[in-house]
Amino acid sequence: MTYIGVLALQGAFIEHIERLQECIKEYDNYDLDEDINIISVRTPEELEKCKALIIPGGESTSMSLIAQRTGFLPFLRDFVNDSSKAIWGTCAGLIFLSETVQGDGGGSGGSPLTAFDPTSRSNLVEPLNLVKVRVKRNAFGRQAQSFTKICDFSSFIPNCTDFPATFIRAPVIEEIIDADRVKTLYTLPNPSSATGELIVAAKQDDNVLVTAFHPELAENDIRFHDYFIREYVLKNL
Amino acid sequence: MSDFKIKSGFAQMLKGGVIMDVVNAEQAKIAEQAGACAVMALERIPADMRKSGQVCRMSDPKMIKEIMESVSIPVMAKVRIGHFVEAQILEALEVDCIDESEVLTPADWTHHIDKLQFKTLFVCGAKDLSEALRRINEGAAMIRTKGEAGTGDVSEAVKHINTICNQIKDLKANNLSADQLKAKADEFRVPVELLQKVIDDGRLPVVNFAAGGVATPADAALLMQLGCDGVFVGSGIFKSSNPPKLARAIVEATTHYNDPAKLLEVSRDLGDLMGGVSIESINRATDASKGVRLSEIGW
Repeated sequence: MTYIGVLALQGAFIEHIERLQECIKEYDNYDLDEDINIISVRTPEELEKCKALIIPGGESTSMSLIAQRTGFLPFLRDFVNDSSKAIWGTCAGLIFLSETVQGDGGGSGGSPLTAFDPTSRSNLVEPLNLVKVRVKRNAFGRQAQSFTKICDFSSFIPNCTDFPATFIRAPVIEEIIDADRVKTLYTLPNPSSATGELIVAAKQDDNVLVTAFHPELAENDIRFHDYFIREYVLKNL
Repeated sequence: MSDFKIKSGFAQMLKGGVIMDVVNAEQAKIAEQAGACAVMALERIPADMRKSGQVCRMSDPKMIKEIMESVSIPVMAKVRIGHFVEAQILEALEVDCIDESEVLTPADWTHHIDKLQFKTLFVCGAKDLSEALRRINEGAAMIRTKGEAGTGDVSEAVKHINTICNQIKDLKANNLSADQLKAKADEFRVPVELLQKVIDDGRLPVVNFAAGGVATPADAALLMQLGCDGVFVGSGIFKSSNPPKLARAIVEATTHYNDPAKLLEVSRDLGDLMGGVSIESINRATDASKGVRLSEIGW
């Protein structure tokens, strides 16, 4: 049995579980002898079974605080830093997985994309310190600035030219700290700078994927989850 | 329809979480540090509104703004039922979610707000399936069962979540003919397509939180086991003797709602809990001398 886990401390974990199950059904267990099993993960025992882990969207402060307080955080940190595991973080998951978190758009004043408040409350999130990037929380602003954009991901997902990517109070990757290991997969133009770009999808080495948006919210569209299974989970089996 | 996806998607990100009522920035920070996935900013918690006997309105935007600036998690705020101008004001303020709430004094006893006219998403109360579907049809992107706010008595919340779940189960089991389905939709005053979708999916098309009377970690876990997606806690936390500890315990109980050993751990030594009022001591709307059941407001 091969287990793919979805962290279920808080957030939209059921959506990920459903998309993964749809993939397994659609592609007939990817022709593997062993069944692929999708489970929700709340405890070290559940985590231990897994070959791969998705950290879903939700509130990064909630997830991080619950993990810290229940003593789960060290287990999570060890797991995601094991290079034999496939890891994917969406939105809050990206924040949780990153090396450094800064700023937030909590205050609606000013321009969230440029304003950085060093006294902000981002220190509530104790990151898992895996992905060598600096992330900015709520980078586009509040829920009023959330949006869906049809994106052309065909540079990394074959023929995927029209994926509906939903950004909800989304973070962005502001800086790649280790350019040898972290590769940009997709960027959006930065509205506050003529030349700059906002990194919203990236991969580190061959086993870690992060996205600022929510592929799990795309209805009847399993292309992104299929990409994760094929390019990250199966290649690292 | 992508607009609705952005609204309902926001609510999906709150799932498995606890949304706490707070009356100032200090309480908001306590809630955030406890792991709340959002806060509801209001001037008075329902327990105090209930006692006041006064008209309860939208909170002062200045106070809501202070809370928005003090925490990084989403901030919600309440408007009176039918008061679409209060909603316009909160939309201009850019709160993350508007609660059209029976806890405040209704502004319109006939109409709820036409929520499709707003870019901001709305959460609305419901005590049964028909009420939930009418609110969704008006544009609500999230539902909360009403319970009985400000009481610390969880029994109404239990009743409402059970009612909704059982109604969906019955509809699914009954295999209604096209005519019966049409009759049911007419009775509920919603489009047939919406009712059909609920029957096909076996659940509401939007996230459904429980609310009204949650006072302990066990209350939160009970409602989660009964099938809701997350929990609102109003008066319970800040009417207790140790709000930070109780808030943390309710957050952990909501995550580990199916794990009795964890629930035992977080239920210990929480100090004095909200005294509350039992639902039986509050008369129905026909005799308001002992206060009114807020869940009977709204239709």
